[in-house]
Amino acid sequence: MAHDAHDDKNSSVFKITLNLAITCFISGIIIASAFAITEPVAAEQRVKAKNDAMKELVKEAETFKAIEGKEGWYAALKGGKVIAYVVPANSKGYGGNIEMLAAVTPEGKTMDFKVLKHNETPGLGDKMVEPKFRNQFANKDPKDLEVVKVPTDKNIQALTGATITSRAVTKGVKEAVEAVAAYSATQKK
Amino acid sequence: MNYWDIFKKGIFEMNPIFRLALSLCPALAVTSTVFNALGMGLCVMVVITANNMVVSLVKNFVNPKVRVPVFITIIATIVTLIILILEAYFPSVYKELGLYLELVVVFAIILARAEVFAMKNGVIASAFDGLGMGAGFAVAMLFIGAFRELFGTGTILSGTSMALQVFPQSYNGPMIIILAPGAFMVIGLMIGMFNVIGEYQDKQAAKSKAASQLTGQRSEAV
Repeated sequence: MAHDAHDDKNSSVFKITLNLAITCFISGIIIASAFAITEPVAAEQRVKAKNDAMKELVKEAETFKAIEGKEGWYAALKGGKVIAYVVPANSKGYGGNIEMLAAVTPEGKTMDFKVLKHNETPGLGDKMVEPKFRNQFANKDPKDLEVVKVPTDKNIQALTGATITSRAVTKGVKEAVEAVAAYSATQKK
Repeated sequence: MNYWDIFKKGIFEMNPIFRLALSLCPALAVTSTVFNALGMGLCVMVVITANNMVVSLVKNFVNPKVRVPVFITIIATIVTLIILILEAYFPSVYKELGLYLELVVVFAIILARAEVFAMKNGVIASAFDGLGMGAGFAVAMLFIGAFRELFGTGTILSGTSMALQVFPQSYNGPMIIILAPGAFMVIGLMIGMFNVIGEYQDKQAAKSKAASQLTGQRSEAV
């Protein structure tokens, strides 16, 4: 072993460990204090983003009320009457889970949807958020929520080069609509 | 070497993507639109500059045997801070780049500059090195992003308020440019272009040198 004295002194396991441990400790303190400052603001932003998303889906709504017993479900109210339900919708797309919010009328027809989180191909699948595709969903019966490849008024026309994404979005919205229809039927009785 | 030279070399002769071919992963993943490419480029610029400064400040306290884990810890801390700040105060930027921001920690170019430059130089020089390298990276990302967005989807800056439809709406670009293999081709062609420019500059330099030598000899003869 041809270590010189200097090298030996600096490379003892204890010294190396201490050096790295101190670094991690300091960075831990920095991150923790930054988190303490930013987290309340970030939480506020998340609530605001969610409210904005729901407001965008159901423009006429005055308030949103969480529905008891249904996680993440909201009823959009106007003058004390339920005009729509906003429910989370999930579906597996081309690049993983697509998380959406779907707005459904109490009669069980689609109103609109909004994508919250996705990992679809940029330039192809992510065109699902554009009005041209999105507007097709307005006022549809769940049985008409089928993806076709030709221009259509009745069904949903697939995005060019993103059939899987189109199917996934349609399936997610359809499931949400059916769930709301079932729930809404129990409410009326 | 003055600070301007340190800054400049990151943009041209040592451009991270076109010359060093480092950090190609983000150059593939986040360059399908100008907005994403530029956002990522600017984030990397901030991280690399901050990291260079911190490393050059603490370089005397870092045990050489654990310098790489220490550098990674420093980079991770800076990136986490940026993520926290973006999430709280710039939610729209965070939404677009959130997925990729965490990957900044392991970008080769950042670790490379800490190791090669900041470890051996003062704070100000290291800051300029980081700014230059970051700017070089951002410019390269911008070029690739602009090319791919223009020929892939026919727009520029889509997703921002300055969105511009360059080609008519009916333009249906070659799909491969939007996908990762197309990014590889674009980067390859741009590296080739940079090499041609570099060779031309070398030739010009050699020519002017030869010319000055020639005139030197003549004046001696006279």
